[in-house]
Amino acid sequence: MEVLKSPLSASQKGKLISAGYTSINLLSSVSPSHLALELKISEAEALEILKTVSDGSRSESTSTSCTIVKGAQSAWDMLQEEETLVRITTSSSDFDNILGGGISCKEVTEIGGVPGIGKTQLGIQLAVNVQIPFDYGGLGGKAIYIDTEGSFMVERALQIAEACGDDMAEYSRLYRKGFHSHEVKIQPKDFLENIFYFRVCSYTEQIALINYLDKFITDHKDVKVVIIDSITFHFRQDFDDMALRTRLLGGMALKLMKLARKFGVAVVVLNQVTTKYSDGSFHLALALGDSWSHASTNRIILHWNGNERYAYIDKSPSLRSASAPYSVTGKGIRDSPSNNKRIKNI
Amino acid sequence: MTPENLLHRPTHTQYCTLGCPILDAFLGGGIPCNSITELVAESGCGKTQLSLQLLFTAQLPLHLNGLSASSLYLYSEYPFPNRRLDQLVESFRSSHPILFASSRDPRDYIFTRNCQTAQDLLDVLLLLESRLEKPKETRLDIKLIVIDSIAALFRSDFDNNPADLKRRSSLFFKISSILKSHARRRGIAIVVTNQVVDSMDDNNGSSGVRVGNLESMYTSGRRVLPALGLSWANCVNSRLFLSRHEVIEGVENGLPDSDYSGYVSRRKRRELHVVFAPHLPHSSCEFVILRDGVFGVDECL
Repeated sequence: MEVLKSPLSASQKGKLISAGYTSINLLSSVSPSHLALELKISEAEALEILKTVSDGSRSESTSTSCTIVKGAQSAWDMLQEEETLVRITTSSSDFDNILGGGISCKEVTEIGGVPGIGKTQLGIQLAVNVQIPFDYGGLGGKAIYIDTEGSFMVERALQIAEACGDDMAEYSRLYRKGFHSHEVKIQPKDFLENIFYFRVCSYTEQIALINYLDKFITDHKDVKVVIIDSITFHFRQDFDDMALRTRLLGGMALKLMKLARKFGVAVVVLNQVTTKYSDGSFHLALALGDSWSHASTNRIILHWNGNERYAYIDKSPSLRSASAPYSVTGKGIRDSPSNNKRIKNI
Repeated sequence: MTPENLLHRPTHTQYCTLGCPILDAFLGGGIPCNSITELVAESGCGKTQLSLQLLFTAQLPLHLNGLSASSLYLYSEYPFPNRRLDQLVESFRSSHPILFASSRDPRDYIFTRNCQTAQDLLDVLLLLESRLEKPKETRLDIKLIVIDSIAALFRSDFDNNPADLKRRSSLFFKISSILKSHARRRGIAIVVTNQVVDSMDDNNGSSGVRVGNLESMYTSGRRVLPALGLSWANCVNSRLFLSRHEVIEGVENGLPDSDYSGYVSRRKRRELHVVFAPHLPHSSCEFVILRDGVFGVDECL
């Protein structure tokens, strides 16, 4: 429908046409504030125009979908979508259990812990596990690994990939004796080929890379996980202007969330821990401050308990807070051996 | 920006040998290039011994698992261990007579520089950048940087107040970042030594703050922690811990007799532990310090 035929006042029509809006359909994805800026009118008036236009177009077309708020979804649709949501296994069943099946796609998950607790190990494990094919209950995707600390070791990734390939061979031997077509084992080097590795040496590079990811994932649609190991390192040096740091981090967090939603990728952000002084005592907190804690949808803290490693869900909109032991073995992340013993004893 | 293809990288990171097959096997090949390895120990455990030895082994050709390059030794603890270096030159010459004939002195390929303050170290590292670009002109074809020790630089100049601590940890990250960018650009192996502090809390209560597995962090019967705290621990890629214990051996009468010490021989048992490393499990290995250098002890023998 053309603007000229719409039930708007003549001056409004004039403004719209001179701004280039000749058809009402063009207005469907315009926000009121944007329109107000473009036509140099008040926001209230812009809203009025959009309302009139949408009423007009609704009476004309029979479709019930509201075109004016583009991209809106009902909660029911979202629930159905979430049920089909795939998760990336951590290779530890206890850890997967508290996560509701694994690291969820479309969300930003932050994982923090002291040095040596296994953050990098978990990162490499996820980069490998995301490649498990559909037939084996995986995603069959690729991984982006952004290394800011230089802790990524190729031979370690190779070890974990080998173990993952062995596990898959074992699985097919046990459960699909008849299917010989699935016998083709993924070679460890294939796993490595599907990890896009970026080494980042400064915070400007880090921000530039995250801005670039949108384009990169558009070109590589099969990327299903983005791992940043760690988000923190370059932001802990020499920031005199803390307000600037907060702004940069905030912008980065928004972009990561957008990536997660837009492409349905799991964004895994590894963070360091620091001591925080409050109420006269020191205690442990994830680095980058309070404003950053809003940046992630889920927060998992890895910590020591006695001689065991534990994962604890600190924040999540859908998961209850729980903790589970896990261990880091030669094969990668696995269940804690003592936990298995306990179950056997019972 | 294009991602690196992991297959085009050499599947195995380059390692610098420690000059001892047992220790090399224990560390998965030696000290990895492109990464920061920290050696933590109380004084007299062999930090400097091990780092001096590395200055020599880095010069070995690639087929002997060396880096075939010079090394840089930045020291902050005085005096410079000249006598020990001379001893090692001799033993090194006798073990590799062809490579280091009398015309070629291994000391020509070891560069040293003292650093008194953290700022000093930062300046040296910044200046190094332009020098490393032209290895032929400056003769600085460096593949190994040893900083002995990082703790000495930071333990005196900073007060225990929030402003200083913040400045200190910001410096940690800055130094670490420069080191890592050197390491990355030129494939340099970086070794940093660190001191220890006594651990004050007896209970395991503060399990959140602890780094790595505490069990191994005993030396001379005391529980210790690496100096410089949590934020520095975030700056290194691998942490190795050297411990020393006095063990009583050779008790022949069953009961050690304090009056007659002839039957009791005390021996220092030194161990090297992996506290954390991206490529190694938590493990430990015994070693000895001899005149010719640091060597691992095979547990089976």
